[in-house]
Amino acid sequence: MSILLALLLLLAAVTGTGIVLVREPRRQVFAIAVNGLVLTLLFLALQAPDVALSELAVGTVVVPLLFLVAIASVRTSRAGEDA
Amino acid sequence: MTPIMSALPFCVAAWLFAIGLYGIVTSRNYIHLVGCLGVCQSATYVLLLAVGYRWDSVAPIFYDHPPGTPAVDPVVQALVLTDIVVGATLTALLLVMAIQVQKRRGTLDPEELAPMKEQQAADACKGRVAEPQR
Repeated sequence: MSILLALLLLLAAVTGTGIVLVREPRRQVFAIAVNGLVLTLLFLALQAPDVALSELAVGTVVVPLLFLVAIASVRTSRAGEDA
Repeated sequence: MTPIMSALPFCVAAWLFAIGLYGIVTSRNYIHLVGCLGVCQSATYVLLLAVGYRWDSVAPIFYDHPPGTPAVDPVVQALVLTDIVVGATLTALLLVMAIQVQKRRGTLDPEELAPMKEQQAADACKGRVAEPQR
């Protein structure tokens, strides 16, 4: 059990580092979704199922979708400026 | 094993906060910066849940356990739940502000948006140094 916890904690640190080091916003969306999934598993291992459920909904689905909407909006406004 | 395990969550939380702060400082894109702020917030989730965790205890749901069974602290879990929701709201708000910056100024690079930049560029076009405005 403690091995699993240590593994998930280190995995959370690695994927968090991945979010920072992926500089392209379109690729960063995937890093954010993976980090949300790892955090969900970590919260499940830390005996917090309700927090894990909320993190699964918010961190894995809603926040990456918000980023996708923002990136699409920025790109369309940039395209409209060129035209 | 046990001292390492008890210190590891705090080390991970500190590392996440530090790397998120590094990303915020070195970011050249506001959307990337909002993602780095999310990393800083995930450090608070790990820290709070690690503070409330107890070994060999169950989740704080007493549906099929008798009351009095050792359970992890439910108060910090409620705090983390609030933290996640507030974090999502903050992300949405900051992304909207990033879109507005892109619409008004045409760039998402914080370096391009430095307050002195426009003034310097205008002065360079006129070929003279800046005069104090009355």
